Amino acid sequence: MDENIKKFKFLRNVIIGTAIIIIIASIKLQVIEGKKYSRLAEKNRIRQRYITASRGKIFDRNGIEIANTRPGFYVSVIQSMIDNKTLESISKILDIDKKTAQDKFKLEKNPFMPVKIAHDISYRQLSIIEENIDDLKGIEVGVEPLRNYPYGELLCHLLGYVGEITHQEIKRLQGYSINDYIGRMGIEEHNENQLKGNYGIEFVEVDARGREIGKIAEKRTIPAVNGQDFYTTIDAVLTESVAVYLEKYEKAACVCLDPKNGDILVLYSKPGFDPNLFVHGMKKKEWEILNKAPDAPMYNRALMSCYPGGSTFKPFVALAALDANMITPEKTFKTCTGKYRLGRRTFKCWKRHGKLQLSGAIIHSCDIYFYQLGVFIGIDTIVSRISKLGFGKLTGIDLPGEKKGLLPDRAFFEKKYGKNWTEGHIFNLSIGQGDLLATPLQMACAYTIFANDGEIVIPHVTKTDDHAYHTTNISQASIEIIKEMLAGVVAFGTGGLARLDDYVVCGKTGTVQNPHGDDHALFIGYGPGEAPAILVCLVVENAGHGGSVAAPAVGKIIRTFLNNTRLTQYAKED
Amino acid sequence: MQKKTNFGIIVAVTVLSLIGLLMVFSTADLHTLTKQAVWLVIAMITAIVLSRIPPRFWSNIAPALYIGAIILLLILLLTQSSYPKRWFKIGTISIQPSEFAKFATVVFLASYLAARKKMKQFSDLLVPLVIIAMPAILIFFEPDLGSAQIFFPILLLMLYWAGMPATKIFIFFSPLVSAAASFIIYVWVAYFIGLTVFLYFNKQLNDFIYGTVSNFLAGLVMPLVWNLLKPYQQERIITFFSPWVDPRGMAWQTIQSKIAIGSGGIIGKGFLSGTQKKLEFLPLRHTDFVFSCLGEEFGLLGIILTTLVFAYLFYELLLLTRTTKNRFSSIIVAGVLAWLGYQTFVNMGMTLGLLPITGVPLPFISYGGSSLLACYMAK
Repeated sequence: MDENIKKFKFLRNVIIGTAIIIIIASIKLQVIEGKKYSRLAEKNRIRQRYITASRGKIFDRNGIEIANTRPGFYVSVIQSMIDNKTLESISKILDIDKKTAQDKFKLEKNPFMPVKIAHDISYRQLSIIEENIDDLKGIEVGVEPLRNYPYGELLCHLLGYVGEITHQEIKRLQGYSINDYIGRMGIEEHNENQLKGNYGIEFVEVDARGREIGKIAEKRTIPAVNGQDFYTTIDAVLTESVAVYLEKYEKAACVCLDPKNGDILVLYSKPGFDPNLFVHGMKKKEWEILNKAPDAPMYNRALMSCYPGGSTFKPFVALAALDANMITPEKTFKTCTGKYRLGRRTFKCWKRHGKLQLSGAIIHSCDIYFYQLGVFIGIDTIVSRISKLGFGKLTGIDLPGEKKGLLPDRAFFEKKYGKNWTEGHIFNLSIGQGDLLATPLQMACAYTIFANDGEIVIPHVTKTDDHAYHTTNISQASIEIIKEMLAGVVAFGTGGLARLDDYVVCGKTGTVQNPHGDDHALFIGYGPGEAPAILVCLVVENAGHGGSVAAPAVGKIIRTFLNNTRLTQYAKED
Repeated sequence: MQKKTNFGIIVAVTVLSLIGLLMVFSTADLHTLTKQAVWLVIAMITAIVLSRIPPRFWSNIAPALYIGAIILLLILLLTQSSYPKRWFKIGTISIQPSEFAKFATVVFLASYLAARKKMKQFSDLLVPLVIIAMPAILIFFEPDLGSAQIFFPILLLMLYWAGMPATKIFIFFSPLVSAAASFIIYVWVAYFIGLTVFLYFNKQLNDFIYGTVSNFLAGLVMPLVWNLLKPYQQERIITFFSPWVDPRGMAWQTIQSKIAIGSGGIIGKGFLSGTQKKLEFLPLRHTDFVFSCLGEEFGLLGIILTTLVFAYLFYELLLLTRTTKNRFSSIIVAGVLAWLGYQTFVNMGMTLGLLPITGVPLPFISYGGSSLLACYMAK
């Protein structure tokens, strides 16, 4: 019996001990860690969800939507609910890399917050997911506003595109969620803050499978604030015409602006890309193909490519000479025989012009006249006047990525070629070759000195009544003289193919020698001559002569614009 | 099974069954509640009838009961076509033979042990081990690790109660400890040295040889056996030790159960208003995890009350083993005590995150006719 008592006591203690363990464990969970578990229970039950703000629309000058939004289906993942198997099957359905998806949702610190891993999925993908939604734990599908570019490739460089925000940007910038898009390049980048709006957060009660039970009364939704619309000076219809006129050329840049106020009408660069593709989230390979293509479709040639101005630069040299009172328009130099010897080197002209005055030299674009003129007035006279026209400086356009170009001066030549830089360098500068570099946008702006009576506009794409100008202090009389000559270029000179029946077009051709291939064709022109309404700068790469390639296209662009404007005016008058 | 009705046990069981009905109502629908209530009535009637039968009759039919249970388990394994083979489906009701096997085995083992007065040799351990092992192995292959493991504490306690010295039992089963320790080589070495020292001072040559050799072999063989386990069984054991690694896998259940209990706080969220339960975060709400719902809805107070009632029940059962003069009955009650006690502890332990999840229902409270019936029969 003794032994039985011993056993009894032992087992009784085991029972008591076990009961105490259970109770202590419960106290630990419910009292000591009770708050933590209450929070976890709430997090289980209450799902936060980002509400995507609708991005502001972008309009052209006539109220046409050039960027808007459309609905699209997205797929999001809730980290705390997804398992490896589900992740694998969803990556298969969406045809994405499992690792990529994982990297994306790992960025969200709150494991209960849904993170979008795919945008704009196809109806096929959507129906597969919906069919299997019970097996895909932690997967949600929904509708979101997506960026849409109705004109596709046409306005890609101007507008830029929107892409998924990166890890680094999330850390650096405020007011973004991991599900957000961010503007890249063009207007989308420059006006990001105005366009993006602010995301909201809603709270819903869900069950263990993530099914929505309903809204939660005690936690109010923070509404999303949609982005503001953005109005531009762009003329989408004119841009379409420009694209049509340049159809047969592979690489080109065209800037059209209103010379009176700096409104950019067209900012076109070719080749381009379809900005709508980025909405899907581009795969690495696609991106690399696009970014590393030899003809650089991502590059906005209109304000990022620097070209020597070629003969389009000659009017500025002439202007500098007149403004400095060093010549009169009747000034002549040695006769153009097609060749000009300087020491042991021979400089050529593109044809034998014979004896010319200044007007003839511009109208027929004689190089030999300008070699001698350049040396005659000297580099300092040229640079001091021309630097006021914006060469070698940013134009200040309200778009990102603009290049400065280069206006070589005495200091530059001395630094680059040493003490023994020669008149040959001035020769090259005088005809816009050599070290001179300018973007099509810069050239267009510089020409507004002729089209806008001495004031250089500051170009802009934002629609505004607040216009700014650079004043140049160049004598009005000299400007008037050159203007007449520019009219002559089109009337009976190298720019004859830009001639229009109804309007006077003024302009200057240019053919830029290209050491890497065929010459680039340039034409900068404006019209109508008496009251310029549009100024066009067109560069067609590797296409040949400015007079035969660029001039006719510019003529058509000016006519299209002026006709359209006249039609609109008639309509208004009626 | 005993002539005199024990009032304390009846009260405790009634209270627990009522709590059970309450929780089944809270976690499932009215239909399930009705079914559970019907089973409860059947179980009570059966219990009353069974308790009128004299012990001699039980000890006579024990072998038949046992063989019947084994045959049932075999039929289950051979006839059911898909895993897991745990239930017989007869019409709309499904019956779980493993519950009856527990009962039959306890009775049979008791009748075997009651016939032996002296329990000193290892050979005395072998037969009980075989008796226990047969149904346990069959159930293990259903596969139902949760039910199979319960046979082991039943065996231990019945042996202990029948007079086997604790040291003998320990030495006999020490290879199992060795096997468990073999997962970490340093732990195993430490264990093995400690065991050798213990056996040396125990001064029994036979024990010494058996102990060292068997433990050494077990430590060697275990890693091989481990690879034979079903992946989900391995997973269950692994995730117990690292529950946050895979929150949607097995550990999900543990985490959700802990969240349910923890968020209940001291007084609970109130009857029928547990969010973890309602929104289906808790798996198997009316069976294995009914205790979590209890903790969520009735808080610490509910848990303490339930635990105390259980403790009181087991204490009464323990008293019964002592006061019952019949050795056979006494050993049966010890077996039942081990059975219910272990099951209670394992279930509560798993919902509280103290033990791995093994799918063991909580006696009297969890939904399930077979287990309820078996529990009452055991009483």
